[in-house]
Amino acid sequence: MTEFLQRLGHTLPHLQQSPALSVLLTLIAYFVAVAVFRKLRQPVWCPPVLLAGLLLAAMLWLGSISYPNYQAGATWLTFLLGPATVALGVPLYQQFHHVRALWKPILVTIPLAATVAVIYALAIAWALGGSSEVLASLAPKSVTAPIAIGINQQIGGSVSLLMGGLLVTGVVASLFVDWLASRLGITDDRLIGLTLGINGHAIGTVRAFEISAQAGAFSSLGMGLTGIFTALTLPIALQLLNIL
Amino acid sequence: MPMLRGFLTLLLFLILGEGLRFMFSWPVSGGVIGMLLLTSWLMLTGGASDALANASQQLISILILLIMPGVVGVFFLGDRFDGQWTAVVVGLIAGTFLSVLTTLLVLRRLISKQPAGERCD
Repeated sequence: MTEFLQRLGHTLPHLQQSPALSVLLTLIAYFVAVAVFRKLRQPVWCPPVLLAGLLLAAMLWLGSISYPNYQAGATWLTFLLGPATVALGVPLYQQFHHVRALWKPILVTIPLAATVAVIYALAIAWALGGSSEVLASLAPKSVTAPIAIGINQQIGGSVSLLMGGLLVTGVVASLFVDWLASRLGITDDRLIGLTLGINGHAIGTVRAFEISAQAGAFSSLGMGLTGIFTALTLPIALQLLNIL
Repeated sequence: MPMLRGFLTLLLFLILGEGLRFMFSWPVSGGVIGMLLLTSWLMLTGGASDALANASQQLISILILLIMPGVVGVFFLGDRFDGQWTAVVVGLIAGTFLSVLTTLLVLRRLISKQPAGERCD
């Protein structure tokens, strides 16, 4: 009996050695968050990714599973971000006729908006005493996660802080687009979609698809082009400035 | 099976992108290069197969699941960034507010100048 109790105590540590537990907990948090989100009638201020993150953090804390331990198992999921980045090329190709129809405004806006998004955030964080590690972590904040992680590997900084930054940016960008668009009397779904994708990456794009399919398509486009532009320019710009 | 065939294409472009990145030591991730190669390839060959379109759509629809392991790390940062949270939070929120405002104003200005015919897509 005592031997059984001893083994019982060692069961959770044993299970932690396999990736199955990490993947299982992530999937549970994901499905519960999506269900709760639908129950709450899809509030803009509380997207599934925020719910899922909180839920997962609570589960890890309750199970006293350390983050590095969890993360090691979850590489089975995070590995898929690589092919998922490549996959973004398919909607980009499919929406290419939109680019052709609106190529001028899109080609002017994306480099401008992607650049000021980085400059505004970094200037404010720097003025408030952010260290160079913090600034590097926040720089790709408006870029969709798989591309942002690629940028992070180039420029350095904390991946966890970057992902938290992506979460906050995506959530508040969706809120601000809703609020500012109605204040400015903007009702064009193409314009709202582009703004969501440029500033709010995947979280903004999920929001755009809630508005309309057209907003969603333009948001995917804005997200993809912002990601490409930032990935191509940010590491080189920082290298040139040599500020990090 | 079709899903796997699409996944094979994605992995091929990922490996190709990563290989090129390493060979020429480009400062852009292999995934991004793979994405650009895939887009160019599709434009040259004139279309994505159903298998590829399917696999891509499935992967993109679970993007949030794939970023969760990273996102949750922010709750376990501990005291590593103590004293800098004001800079982080204000930088993110105020910075995003300003960039959303800039984007909306620039787009409104540029798109309202488009001829009416092009406006209704």
